Amino acid sequence: MSANPPIARVVVVGSAVPLWLCTTALARALGPIGVKVSAVELKTAQIPSQVYATLPPLESFHSKLGVEEAALLRSTAGSFSLGQLFVDGAGSRRPGFFHAWGSYGAAIDGVAFFPCWLKAKRHGPVASLESFCPAAVAAHYGRMIRPTVEVAALGRTEYAYHVPAMAYARELKALAPALGVTVYEEGAAQVVRSGTDGSIERLVLDSGRIVQGDLYVDATGSSARLIGEAPASEWRSWQAHFIVDRLLLARAPRFTSVPPFSEVRISRAGWTALNPTQAMTGVAHAYASGLHSEEEAVRLASRVGGSALSDITIQPVSPGIQAQPWSANCVAIGSSACMLDPIHDISIHAIQLGIVHLLSLFPAGTEYGAERTEYNRQMCSSFERLRDFQCAFYAYSMFVGDFWQHARRHVAPAELLHKSETFRARGVIAPMEDETFLAASWQALFCGLGIVPDSWGPATDAISPTRIAEQCQRMLEVIQARVTAEPMHDEYLAALCGRAAA
Amino acid sequence: MEPSHPSEKLRIVIVGGGTAGWMCALAMARQLPAATYGITLIESDDIGTVGVGEATLPHIKIFNDSLGINEAQFMRETRATMKLGIEFRDWNQPGQGYIHPFGAFGEPWGGVEFQHHWIRAQRRGASGTALEDYSYSVAAARANAFDFPNEDKKSIRSTYAYAYHFDAGLYGAFLRKLAVEAGVQRIEGQVCDCARDRLSGDITELTLKSGARIAGDLFVDCSGFRALLIGGALGGKWQDWTHWLPCDRAYAVQCERTGALTPYTRSTAQSAGWIWRIPLQHRIGNGYVFSSRFISDSEAQQSLLGALEGQALGAPRLLRFSPGRRLHAWSHNCVAIGLASGFLEPLESTSIFLIQAAVVDLINLIPAPHSRTSDPRLANEFNRLNDMQYDRVRDFLILHYMANRRLGEPLWDYVRTMPVPDSLQNKLELFRSRAALPNYQFGLFARDSWLAVLIGQGIEPSHYDRMADVFPMEALDEKLSAFRERVRTNVAAMSSHSEFIENYCGPAATAVSEGAEA
Repeated sequence: MSANPPIARVVVVGSAVPLWLCTTALARALGPIGVKVSAVELKTAQIPSQVYATLPPLESFHSKLGVEEAALLRSTAGSFSLGQLFVDGAGSRRPGFFHAWGSYGAAIDGVAFFPCWLKAKRHGPVASLESFCPAAVAAHYGRMIRPTVEVAALGRTEYAYHVPAMAYARELKALAPALGVTVYEEGAAQVVRSGTDGSIERLVLDSGRIVQGDLYVDATGSSARLIGEAPASEWRSWQAHFIVDRLLLARAPRFTSVPPFSEVRISRAGWTALNPTQAMTGVAHAYASGLHSEEEAVRLASRVGGSALSDITIQPVSPGIQAQPWSANCVAIGSSACMLDPIHDISIHAIQLGIVHLLSLFPAGTEYGAERTEYNRQMCSSFERLRDFQCAFYAYSMFVGDFWQHARRHVAPAELLHKSETFRARGVIAPMEDETFLAASWQALFCGLGIVPDSWGPATDAISPTRIAEQCQRMLEVIQARVTAEPMHDEYLAALCGRAAA
Repeated sequence: MEPSHPSEKLRIVIVGGGTAGWMCALAMARQLPAATYGITLIESDDIGTVGVGEATLPHIKIFNDSLGINEAQFMRETRATMKLGIEFRDWNQPGQGYIHPFGAFGEPWGGVEFQHHWIRAQRRGASGTALEDYSYSVAAARANAFDFPNEDKKSIRSTYAYAYHFDAGLYGAFLRKLAVEAGVQRIEGQVCDCARDRLSGDITELTLKSGARIAGDLFVDCSGFRALLIGGALGGKWQDWTHWLPCDRAYAVQCERTGALTPYTRSTAQSAGWIWRIPLQHRIGNGYVFSSRFISDSEAQQSLLGALEGQALGAPRLLRFSPGRRLHAWSHNCVAIGLASGFLEPLESTSIFLIQAAVVDLINLIPAPHSRTSDPRLANEFNRLNDMQYDRVRDFLILHYMANRRLGEPLWDYVRTMPVPDSLQNKLELFRSRAALPNYQFGLFARDSWLAVLIGQGIEPSHYDRMADVFPMEALDEKLSAFRERVRTNVAAMSSHSEFIENYCGPAATAVSEGAEA
């Protein structure tokens, strides 16, 4: 091929889930081509109350990684998630809405459902958007639904997980030895750089041991231990777009019956998310420290999560992005590359995106400037689309309270503004590259926040309101029948975890 | 259903009756409710249409199908032939050529894209086979064969799509007939004045030479290079791309066919541009696209006439153009579609595709019937989509020029050394570095198209994806040779293109079907 020796050693530095997700996924994919992966595990404070909500693509990522679903949910006491329920507890009496991992409604006479629904709404009362979504309806009844052939006939149905962070990290770490990963458990590591571009030459560990790699992955989370100190490091703050600067995490007892969705409760002073699992319920309360004190935050989180909160921690949040997540021979993955707002809990997905793109661009030689440029372009674009989705929740909310008033004063990025304006005008989602969330998610969010489009596409005009009403009624009945035939989430979990254990 | 009041209709006025005008008119008439949208098209018999876009992309079939157009009838009436791709001759360097097919190269194995396996095999010297040996559509094209793609996704005969070569003038006439039947009001006349609202700047009314006045709510400028409304009346700004695509003129002439009825377009590089050859049922369309900076009109004309395979049918027509696009194709209540919105040389047959994309987007974003003022939010989205289409095609065209080894020829020396857009530069560097292909979701072109042209233009990747190395070399050799064999045996069973045309839509087929109907 060429004189350039290919990259042979990858060193991943970090802790907890980011470290072990990167390490195992890279080792699994790169092992067969002879790349050696090492993990330097830094001692950092673990947050025992943290429960990750994930996004549907994690399921296939796990399959490639060799993580079996039943085994994972059993050993971590995790659960399934069909989406997120948003409930307005701030007193505006606005109806809640459900952002489901699935599609809403089926096409009528070849025309997309959403504009038909808009038209039906204009002509009279019609069931809520989510009543046409099998995943949302199943969640409403506490049932688990999977994309079987019968279910898939009703539309796209996907699912994600709620998984306790510490148990998840433990399970991933357990995969490492079999994947040939060398693990260094160290308190800290000193980074030695060389060259004009600030390439990392080696890591000197606490123990005095030296670890060297051809490529380093910064999975140290928001502390950004490697990338943050790189000479080319440039942090771009997104604080102009986001109001939240504190996140309280706590543990609440498990629900007697585990809901297959997360709930985001809006209060006047922020929002509180409940991520249920079989072991406990993760509580996350986001607020702005300039408006509310820690005591108020604890009080609000307790009001939603119950009085028995434990393991309460409060961490700062400062959204922003590393202008070059891949700098010299260091690739930042996860919060070290981009600190996202906590809404929708997409931090695991952000890690997954970083890994997938790194693998698809994994250097073929030691010269990899082109790969780096492309990686940075793809990641920044992907992160910005995630940012837009999160920002929409604050910028277009109509909730009552000082937190929300301030939130609405923050600036919407240009791409989001374009998207929302297009939606307001025509009810369509402007297609953009590198989107994580599909049009159905955007529509559910915009509609849920109360945005009503001024018009819909002309194709809908060929269908009479009567025809639409009939078809809507039929869909509701079919979905109802299908969903009630699905198992309760509790039973499903018990059978899945129990049977696999036997 | 009767409209309650005629005035409640949104009045759409299309100016220009070329390919763009009639594609737009027919699609609108079929897809917008007649009760709420009125469509008028103004065309002048005194103004000729450019009609150069005689070669198309496979998307045109989706467009025609969506309008319920019968393929055989359409092909018969426009004297159409099938198109499996474009042959580029002498582009990289004289004597070399390649085909850019509307089809796949090989198939991914072990989750790794085909080109990596192919490059790896090449480097090992195990199988020194050409990329095109792994393309069913290239093999079919080289054999002058054609058949419809197979529906069975497992069959190698499903790995391609096809487009058409047709007489664009006849296509316009064909669409016009259908559009008028579908309720489009056709007005013959020349627009000589355009009135605008003083406050909003929107166009309110057009005056024809006859004195007739045509009022409207939305105006579609399909007037071609003249850009009567978007340029003339509204003074819309133009983004010039001559520094990247220096060709600014073309001579076009038809000739008798003496060569084979190829199921592909041919583009042959010349000292100051390139010559197209488009085979129709009854003649060959030819043209020399050239840069006036590098050759005189008369020399270009001579070169074209010298390259004809048969007797010229008429004198060559000279077209002048400047590559680029309108900064805002939708401005106020005027939407430019076709040559009025931008021009990219027909190197990759994109003109009609760009019209089609704009028509589809415009219909999706058409102002609501009750709206009387233009909604800038809809225009912004239309323009964003339109710009993306143009910019992506532009990059792909530039690639054909910049990657050449025609040393010592002034045009080719210029394009080989000019700075190219960053968006293209990044794609090139990534391909050079690891044989990775551009992978975007929206707009032209797909990965296999990039692969055909990158390899065809002689760009050598220094590496391939290392994941390809996981495959044992022996197994790979077997897979490669089995794939080549599949291509060969399947193409051998195809009918010839000329037979296919004759049976499906040729003049003889007309007689048979008319006889059968009688």
